[in-house]
Amino acid sequence: MELLEYGFMQRALLASLMVGLVAPAVGVFLVQRRLSLLGDGLGHVALTGVAVGVLTATAPVGTALVAAVLGAVLIELIRARGRTSGDVALAVLFYGGIAGGVVLLSLAPEGRATNLDAYLFGAITTTSTADVAVFAVIAAVVVTVVWLLGQRLYAVSDDEEYARAVGLPVLPLNVVLAALVASTVVLSMRVVGLLLISALMILPSAVAQLLGRSFRQTLLLACGIGLVVSVSGTSASYYAGTPSGGTIVLLAIAVFLVVSATVAARETTARRRHRRRVEVHAAHPHEHGAGCGHPAVPHGDHVDYDHDGHLHAPHRTGAGVHYDEHGAHAGQGGRP
Amino acid sequence: MSTAPRPEPGRDGVAVRLRDATIGYGDVPIVCGADLTVRHGEAVAVLGSNGSGKTTLARGLLGLATVLDGAVEVLGAPVGRLRERDRVGYVPQRHTVSGAVPATVREVVSVGRLPRLGLVRRLGRADRAAVAEAVAAVGLADRISDPVASLSGGQQRRVLVARALAAQPDLLIMDEPTAGVDAASQEALAGVLAGVSAAGTTLLVVTHESGPLAGVLTRAVVVDHGRIDYDGPLAEAGPPGGDCHHPAEDAPTGYRVDQLRVTTDGGL
Repeated sequence: MELLEYGFMQRALLASLMVGLVAPAVGVFLVQRRLSLLGDGLGHVALTGVAVGVLTATAPVGTALVAAVLGAVLIELIRARGRTSGDVALAVLFYGGIAGGVVLLSLAPEGRATNLDAYLFGAITTTSTADVAVFAVIAAVVVTVVWLLGQRLYAVSDDEEYARAVGLPVLPLNVVLAALVASTVVLSMRVVGLLLISALMILPSAVAQLLGRSFRQTLLLACGIGLVVSVSGTSASYYAGTPSGGTIVLLAIAVFLVVSATVAARETTARRRHRRRVEVHAAHPHEHGAGCGHPAVPHGDHVDYDHDGHLHAPHRTGAGVHYDEHGAHAGQGGRP
Repeated sequence: MSTAPRPEPGRDGVAVRLRDATIGYGDVPIVCGADLTVRHGEAVAVLGSNGSGKTTLARGLLGLATVLDGAVEVLGAPVGRLRERDRVGYVPQRHTVSGAVPATVREVVSVGRLPRLGLVRRLGRADRAAVAEAVAAVGLADRISDPVASLSGGQQRRVLVARALAAQPDLLIMDEPTAGVDAASQEALAGVLAGVSAAGTTLLVVTHESGPLAGVLTRAVVVDHGRIDYDGPLAEAGPPGGDCHHPAEDAPTGYRVDQLRVTTDGGL
């Protein structure tokens, strides 16, 4: 492969591989917590960190990491105090971060000013060997923490109140998650850019949600999808001469659209087939159960209810329960 | 559950003790001057109409509402300093379990085991057995690998009950477990709670209708306008709040108990 002959492309592909794997592994928890835009907020804060790095002539990756983690911890503490809503706290973070970054960068002495675009939209081909090493450490830490604490992070993201009531360490776990997001933001900043970071955390999860049956499955699927779009987006950007960040995100959106259209079409077909096969008793006034007045009749793997001589089989769907007609009581009603 | 409750549930066998307790949110008191002692193994209904403060009372025991005055002790320790919070089970008032990301019944119920496992320990064989047992107890054994979103509302509520049972708690606090649940699921729940209570777990059930669980709960605490109005046998408790009529509570006790016995087996 031609693109593997260049050192800068090797580094770019390695970086995109790590980002593609790690960003969705953290993003799934944000989606579950309905805090999808936290990554965006921390990306803005990281910009202030980048500016501090440029001003003090230290490595921007390090200062960005410090700023993003501090911002992450801060927002969790603000949320835990409960005086300010998560929404307002996020807004303060968003605008404070980006304004601070822009103002601080403008103060940088002549000649030291860095290309702002590289951080906002990514500049994967400028990734140095040292960057790759730092990214590898961050990626390893994030994957290890998710592997160790995944179930607890799920518990807190799913039902924070229950977690608190039964004594799970809610605040520490939320701080850990926020720190993971901050690390992922810094890891992804060179590949997709600070403005597009949330997309790579959220979109693979959005696709996986449509296909997964369990949380574990969804998490692994999201990582797989992230890895594929990230690496193929980076390769495509090399051949097409387009920016890597935008290419990866457009590819992820395309996957999302195709998968959701396929799932919707499949559901419609299944519903139509189901309606054709059996007469569905849709608007039933009550849910059958013991004591509803209709005798229960065991029917293979399920229980039908004898409703004036014909059998009702409960069919549970996302919208609720309706009753399929399973034939007359005396006869042999076929199950679809 | 077959597992025996841990010995010495709290000092003097007291599971919950409120002494002139004022509970609320921020600095707004909702429950005022409450005195209550629940001994280990009791099955108590906390009754009251909407807005009476019964949920706040329960949330005070869970550390989800603030104790503004007086003393609230849970399992022998002041609620704010309770270390063994993993001995408390909780079924929140929530109509569905399904979050944004799919999860199976097993995954949701497994969360109930986590508080016992410390910081990083993963679920072991005993934990997985407890999860399977709890799911079977609520009659969902055949659905354990299904996504919770594919379950009916009543079944999803049973998943939340299973999550609390999996913790094998000494004190189980439930908030409106029968609200919006069909008759079959209510009967199934009554059967499950009877078993849990027989195993020695203390039950505290917040509800606006004690009818469906009358065979299990024996003592009633009626909360009205933030104060405990009545504390005594469930059978003698008047209609909570006094502003709404509860036909189930007027029926003779024997009738309700018999009806529950008959239907409990078929419900699961």
